[in-house]
Amino acid sequence: MGWKRSPIVRYLAIAAVLVLMVGACGDGGGAGNPTVRIGSDNFYESRLMAEIYAQVLEANGYTVERSFGLGSRQERAPAFEEGQVDLVPEYVGSGLGYYDTSQITGDGETNRERLAGILADKAVTVLAITPGEDTNAAVVRQDTADELGLASMSDLAAVQDDLRWGLPPDCDENPLCKGALEQYGINYPPAQRESLAACDVPIAEALNGDAIDFAWLCSTQPAIAQYGFVVLDDDLDTQPAENIAPLVRNDFLDQLDDAAAFQALLDEASAGMTTEELTRLGVEVAVNQREVDEVAREWLEAQGLLES
Amino acid sequence: MSDVLAWFLDAAHWQGPTGIPVRLWEHLWISGLSVLAATAIGLPVGLYTGHTGRWGSLAINVANIGRAIPSYAILVMVLPVSLALAPTFGYSPNLGLSFIPTFTAMVLLAVPPILVNAHAGLRSVDPDLVDAARAMGLKEGEILRNVELPLASSVIVGGFRTAVLNVIATATIGAIVSFGGLGRFIIDGRLRGVAGIPELVGGAIIVTVLAVGVDMALGALQRRMTPAGVRMAIGQVTEASAPA
Repeated sequence: MGWKRSPIVRYLAIAAVLVLMVGACGDGGGAGNPTVRIGSDNFYESRLMAEIYAQVLEANGYTVERSFGLGSRQERAPAFEEGQVDLVPEYVGSGLGYYDTSQITGDGETNRERLAGILADKAVTVLAITPGEDTNAAVVRQDTADELGLASMSDLAAVQDDLRWGLPPDCDENPLCKGALEQYGINYPPAQRESLAACDVPIAEALNGDAIDFAWLCSTQPAIAQYGFVVLDDDLDTQPAENIAPLVRNDFLDQLDDAAAFQALLDEASAGMTTEELTRLGVEVAVNQREVDEVAREWLEAQGLLES
Repeated sequence: MSDVLAWFLDAAHWQGPTGIPVRLWEHLWISGLSVLAATAIGLPVGLYTGHTGRWGSLAINVANIGRAIPSYAILVMVLPVSLALAPTFGYSPNLGLSFIPTFTAMVLLAVPPILVNAHAGLRSVDPDLVDAARAMGLKEGEILRNVELPLASSVIVGGFRTAVLNVIATATIGAIVSFGGLGRFIIDGRLRGVAGIPELVGGAIIVTVLAVGVDMALGALQRRMTPAGVRMAIGQVTEASAPA
């Protein structure tokens, strides 16, 4: 066809390329950096961490584009791997388990390193972890704990047949669930069992409403404080360390003027996030229904990472 | 795709309380029961409003709330209530956890198309015919039974079909509140991450085949129920007035 040789088309093509190049240069933050596209999972804690990272970066001259609520890990991980976002907060235990459950440990730093090992092949960098974590918590109602004298998970074996267990549907194949229960002397599967996703609203409601007596929740889940549930001590340390770390795509880091400064900002924000703070901020967002950006800003100001 | 085929061919997935036949049965009975209950509610109301021409828009608007609220939201809203009411009414908390929220969400989903089509079906009957019947001395009940219902039957069954199709596809969410059914494969497969994808896709395929299969069977029924004399004309009405 003639259009291929047309000089007008050639000029237009060159012009388009120039416009794109100029556009790419002007598309950045303070020092000519590219826009940081930050994603999060679709629940309050992930949004909160993503918002904290976003505000720290914005306060230091980066332009941020928020794509929060990308579903759960099953949807978000592929979206991140395919480059739809540049940065996401991740739990190092479950994040590792998404790729290989057999590698999970009870130590946050070890989990981070192993996750980093797997993600290195996918050109993703795992930054520093938060000291705080949100791990799996075995939870019972106060009345059950009082009646049966339950304080730690080791107390469960003696009364296992009296309990109605709320277990996640994937418990059978999950070493953190079936494996952990068996370590505590539970004959798996328990006689009375309901299939309910861990850390979700229905499982917390089911426990509160006396449809089950045992539930897997997340340790910072606001329902625990809200309903006065008792968290059983994981005395055999069966549950993984679930500290939080930002995952960043290498192709994005390569475009930055100063990748080390970028990482230092995020590491500094992560360093202040303890389990107590995670729990407290979670109650602010999920129970008191306050806006995530407001809660994140207050926390960063209290940490001295943002000027008030 | 070969992973999905392997999932279907695995004999372990066809037996026991978590196998495909049991899940299919659970799915069918909750769907059937929900549509029956929705028919018991929606059909009389729709026939009344359609025959008398009164309260039609009120009934339709109220019923449509059930369709407007996402079924998942209904599930999560009903859950704490049905659990809290268990001691009062003396039913098992298990029922309050799984069956009642799922059943409620499905009934609310199924009432609108049944009610709306019953109403629209009767309203679409030529008023001259009804007047003629009345002039011949037929009682209101006879007009409804012998004139309006036969002429509107195709449209009414069309609403029933829509309800069945919606419920079969949506009853999968019962798995969120520990109900069985085919949703288990989808919800559980999703929780298993990458390894669960064949199960998720397999479950979705079964639901789709079931929904389309039942719909086709009801379509055949719909054609047989239509009086031969009006089959042609009513067939066109059905296409136009059945909600998508």
